[in-house]
Amino acid sequence: MDLNIILLILGGLANVFIVLLVAPFFQGLLRVITARVIQSRQGPPIWQAYYDTFKLLGKEDIESGEAPVMQRFATYLSLASILTVGCLVPMGFRAPMNGAGDAILLIYLLTLSGICMLLAGLAAGSTYSLVGISREMMTMLTLEPLFAITIVIAALNTQSFRLDTVLNGAVYQSAGFPVSGIIMLGVMLLAFQAFVARVPFDISEAETEIMEGPLMEYSGPKLAIFKYAQMAKLIVFSGLFIGLFVPWGSDLVFPFGWILFWVKVFILVIMVTVLAATHARYRIDQAIRYFAALLAVGVVALILASNGF
Amino acid sequence: MSVMSKLKETLICLGAGKATLPYPFKAEPVPANFRGRPIFDSTKCIGCAGCANNCPAREILVYDPCQEVRVIKYLGRRCTYCGRCADLCPEKAITMSHEFENGTNAVTDISQTLDIFMSTCQRCGRCFKGAELMDDLKMKGYRFDDLQNDRWVFRSQAYLEGDQVVDDIKIEFEG
Amino acid sequence: MLKNLCQKMFGRSLWVYHANSGGCNGCDIEVLNVLTPYYDVERFGIKLVGSPRHADVMLCQGPAMRSTSKALKRAYEAMPSPKLVFAIGSCACGGGIWFDSYSVIGPVEKIIPVNYYIPGCPPRPKAIIYAVAVAVGLVDKKTAPVKFKQMEFPVPQYHPDELKGEGDLVVYEKTEHI
Repeated sequence: MDLNIILLILGGLANVFIVLLVAPFFQGLLRVITARVIQSRQGPPIWQAYYDTFKLLGKEDIESGEAPVMQRFATYLSLASILTVGCLVPMGFRAPMNGAGDAILLIYLLTLSGICMLLAGLAAGSTYSLVGISREMMTMLTLEPLFAITIVIAALNTQSFRLDTVLNGAVYQSAGFPVSGIIMLGVMLLAFQAFVARVPFDISEAETEIMEGPLMEYSGPKLAIFKYAQMAKLIVFSGLFIGLFVPWGSDLVFPFGWILFWVKVFILVIMVTVLAATHARYRIDQAIRYFAALLAVGVVALILASNGF
Repeated sequence: MSVMSKLKETLICLGAGKATLPYPFKAEPVPANFRGRPIFDSTKCIGCAGCANNCPAREILVYDPCQEVRVIKYLGRRCTYCGRCADLCPEKAITMSHEFENGTNAVTDISQTLDIFMSTCQRCGRCFKGAELMDDLKMKGYRFDDLQNDRWVFRSQAYLEGDQVVDDIKIEFEG
Repeated sequence: MLKNLCQKMFGRSLWVYHANSGGCNGCDIEVLNVLTPYYDVERFGIKLVGSPRHADVMLCQGPAMRSTSKALKRAYEAMPSPKLVFAIGSCACGGGIWFDSYSVIGPVEKIIPVNYYIPGCPPRPKAIIYAVAVAVGLVDKKTAPVKFKQMEFPVPQYHPDELKGEGDLVVYEKTEHI
């Protein structure tokens, strides 16, 4: 009994460790592909994100802003919430801690990681930060329901909230032809870019129009943690997407299932890169219109799913 | 849909390959009449100070420590590489070289100092002649720009009495 | 050990903040050219950021004017150490040709300490990349102060053309020189 719990915890920690190790590599890959393939130049070396993180860790930490204690709290919370989601997401194996939580916890943790950005901007308190967090709030209001709708459709189909059924392609397991599953696949593909907060949807954070938005007052180690959380979001969301919509092949024997998972993550990262490098950033009203259309389609899918399709 | 046009754009960009110059690792040639850093040739300079009088940024300072020696100092900080000094020089002692890699960590690295020996008149033995005979006894030289503080003195002819350095306009900034 | 690693990584990823305190924008455009694919300074890890709190290097250009000097000083103090300042262009290095104007205080070093100077009006993008490479340590710098002396004191009495050597004896023969 105790051994089981210890194994579960170790499995969770192993997941976290893999996410921490690999996240900057995928960010570097994103920058290299943007540069070499699309912008016809020699980009940075592929390990550049590791260099950036180490350099930021060595800088001085200037505590400015309205509430330094809240700034520290928001920083640590952002990385912690993403890594906790990482413990619950299957990455090539079964989800290590799937007994510890269910799908509703997943929704709440993802919303929490979005709220950290709001806390960060409020704690900094400068004008640009407040503009950034108001845009982030609008984005979150229209985006998080999409994810919740997907989980609810999966739960409706299999009558359970357990993570190892929901994150195993349960959207396709409806009684009739899985129309709602296919609709949600399309909707989530279109909204994936906004969940991982890259161009064209990185309206709130790290943009040159409002001087980096809520992250403006953070320097040194805190900035390193925020950037790390953004890099880790890419991997964790890819894992969630794969678990929900393309889980086929994850029950192969140990090396092949794991390698297949990372190949799928690679393909998703390339899709994110190509979209990010070829598009310009949306204005907030254009983005809200886009998300509202997706939300309407999602609600239609939910109605279809509750009627058995 | 606009995504299709963006993907077509990507495919077109792939044809361009890598357009980056491998710059600091491979030198690149400059155009033929490129104006880089001016090089002062001390063997040809006659000390007329025409370059100093015409520099629009007042970067060339002239100082006469005694009658026969003239120090011409080119400070590189404000030089805009306009080429006026090279155009004017009657002996073609200034050439605008092709050097543009002038970044340094100490701004005094770009300066060039020439000590020019002025020839004296065969009759009176002086380099410069004053308006009256008494002036000849007092006069040391014509130019006395401030070489210690790297400042151009806004007077062209005066006698050396006491402290000849003219102060700059004092501008204070608040805070 | 972690501190050593962080210090070694400083040269490989410099984040740059661009501060123009009253220039004509000529050097601005050259700095923007450096960030384009043709000269591509991102291969050294350099990225343009929008806030001085995120930056390591401040690229100053334009002379320090009376109206913007306070803002420049505050932007400098907002940068976390370790930090570098590059003064780009003749205006930032020495005041430019406007050094004695009524609104110009002088070069940028009168307000904030400068680490690297890049003269030019405007400096070529290659000159900017060269100075960045000198700062990072990839190449050596190419300038040194030069001092020429036309003649050494005391002045020789004899013109060298008039000295003719015959064996052990050196004979002075005065020929007609003008």
